[in-house]
Amino acid sequence: MSEIDITVRLDQVRKSFGEFTAVKDLSLAVRAGRIFGLLGPNGAGKTTTIRMIVNITAPDSGTIELFGQRITPTLQDRIGYLPEERGLYKKMKIGDQLRFFAELKNISGKEVDRRIDSWLARVKLSEWKNKRAMELSKGMQQKIQFIMAVLHEPDLVILDEPFSGLDPVNVELLKDVVLELKRTGKTVIFSTHQMELAEKICDDICLINRSQKILDGSLRQIKKSFGRNAVALRMEGSNGILNDASLVSSVQTHSDEVEVLLAPGATAQQFLRKLVDSGANVSKFEMIEPSLHDIFIEKVTEAE
Amino acid sequence: MTKFLAVVKREYVVRVRSRMFIATTILGPLIMSLFGLVPALIFRMEVGGPLRIAVVDQTGRLYDRLSESLMNERKESEGVSIADGARKSVQMNSAERLQQVASQQRQTFWLQKIEMSASLEQTREQLKRRIREKEIDLYLILPTDLLDYGSAELVGSSTGDIFAKDDLEDAISNAVREARLEQARIDPQTVRSLSRPTQLKVMKIDDLGETEDRGQGFIVVFGVGFTIYLTILLYGQMVMGSVIDEKETRIAEILFASVRPFTLMTGKLIGVSCVASTQLAIWGLAFITFVFFGTNALTWRGVPMQLPGIRPILFLYFALFFLFGFFIYATVYALVGSMATTPQEAAQLAMPIILLLVVGFYLAFPVIKSPNSPFAFWVSIFPFFASITMLVRIVSQTPPFWQIALALLLELGTIVALLWLAARIYRVGMLMYGKKATIPEIIRWVRQA
Repeated sequence: MSEIDITVRLDQVRKSFGEFTAVKDLSLAVRAGRIFGLLGPNGAGKTTTIRMIVNITAPDSGTIELFGQRITPTLQDRIGYLPEERGLYKKMKIGDQLRFFAELKNISGKEVDRRIDSWLARVKLSEWKNKRAMELSKGMQQKIQFIMAVLHEPDLVILDEPFSGLDPVNVELLKDVVLELKRTGKTVIFSTHQMELAEKICDDICLINRSQKILDGSLRQIKKSFGRNAVALRMEGSNGILNDASLVSSVQTHSDEVEVLLAPGATAQQFLRKLVDSGANVSKFEMIEPSLHDIFIEKVTEAE
Repeated sequence: MTKFLAVVKREYVVRVRSRMFIATTILGPLIMSLFGLVPALIFRMEVGGPLRIAVVDQTGRLYDRLSESLMNERKESEGVSIADGARKSVQMNSAERLQQVASQQRQTFWLQKIEMSASLEQTREQLKRRIREKEIDLYLILPTDLLDYGSAELVGSSTGDIFAKDDLEDAISNAVREARLEQARIDPQTVRSLSRPTQLKVMKIDDLGETEDRGQGFIVVFGVGFTIYLTILLYGQMVMGSVIDEKETRIAEILFASVRPFTLMTGKLIGVSCVASTQLAIWGLAFITFVFFGTNALTWRGVPMQLPGIRPILFLYFALFFLFGFFIYATVYALVGSMATTPQEAAQLAMPIILLLVVGFYLAFPVIKSPNSPFAFWVSIFPFFASITMLVRIVSQTPPFWQIALALLLELGTIVALLWLAARIYRVGMLMYGKKATIPEIIRWVRQA
């Protein structure tokens, strides 16, 4: 992995507010052209980390590099940022507002107008262009703010809880846009505490809890390393096998199926054969990967 | 630079296009003149009819003179021609205005002579009854010894009207004086013509030459001080509102991701100062147009209008002192706005600023009285007052140039220092949601930045 493939690199970054340390010696690398999930519960230090990457606040110690350079205000123009705490000028028209924020990113002219129109069409808000922001619903405003983050075609897009409060249709809409950004070679940092969502779109993740990194790497690799022998099972009869301690270490019962964690040394093949031999009627037998949620819970409890 | 201009442009366009701006531009001069007129109008209000007075003249020689004297008084004040009145109202200073109001407000008196048919005590009782029955408002007793040393007596249920009391006192004195002169065999007509009041003509000498000052100088000084005070207050608050708006709506976070806080803050200050300049320029042009065309038209119609001589350099000084004063106060307002979390909280925090500005405005009065005193000097170079007080001095009696330059220089230094301070507080304050900044916190921000 050469240096140029790293869009953002944090090295031993620390930031405190008075007594409280918000980010403690955080090191991470965001690879170019991938979707990077910055995950953790509320108050873990995600927003503080992002603010430092965007150059809104400076770290107390440690270094931050963007596109292989130490951060400077001019690098801000190559970043698009959708903060979690977001707002619009209530009385300004949507079109004027988008143009203003584009100017703040050093782009202006006819091209901006064209991009504004095409983005508004894409998020189905074209007819709102000349309305004031206060007339829009919360969800609509959120889509406008999303456009602000991508209008200047930045190389790095940072989205802090971009889907919170949106209905499923709009979540799908924005998710497609995010995936398209990745296809066009942009790097995306996606911060959320909703693990299910992160699991669906992230390539790489970094888990933080209580100001500290717990775990990072590619999502696939992390899952593989957490590879537990778990099976989702739906069947009738022969419950006796589930009590065999040499095969099964624990059983969780869900509504119409059970989740079986196999004992160390036992394989899924052995387990299935035993079940079939015992005359059970198996309608579902599926190896399951651990969810990000499970990994997170396990890691956090392990650390404490 | 593009970003800075974008901030300035947004701030300017949004505000100049707003209904608020158009309304204050048109109504501003109207409102300011209302500040002067409304108190006068209220004073003028005639509530109720003429003052009904029953007069008991025990001397038998004063009633006719008294009633003539009161009537004369009225004729004199009514005798002021309309043209004269118009000229007066343009030129009067506030003390004069108050006097005029009082004279215009003079009650028309309605006098009734009471013949003494019974003893004084009985007459008193009768008159008291009439007051209770609201037939008359007051009764006046002129005792026999009044011509020598005694005093007249005014009785009524309401004697609070000082204007009426003064008028009556004057009229009685006049009547008594005339009666005494007659006793001394001097023709009252001669006396009256000899004791005609003289008038004081006030001339002002400055580099414009010699001009007659009928009080218009005061009007200009006062007007200039008031305009600057009001516009700084208005536009300073506008900056604060704009800062709080960006903090409250959390736009600050997106803004700071694109533009440096200092650029944003200075852009905002410059943008709003352009709005204020636009408004003042419109007012200034309207005023000049009025001076050139309005006064000519009025003079042509027979209304003599003499406007105070205004030197063109005054406009330059006005612009400079306005802008410098604006930047001082607006920077403090921006700072306060970034520290507060709600407009209400900001209004509380801004109280000391307003107080400072008000003190500056009131200091203009002693400065007008003696523009060359050491007090006036120190007050007019103090950066937080200079914009009002130095300008007032320039208008009333231009101080040496070095004093003006010193005032401007000190203001400039203050602006730089305040910007330095504000930039440090603003950056942190804008991103702090939910709680008001404490003083120790603010000191830490300034140190750390």
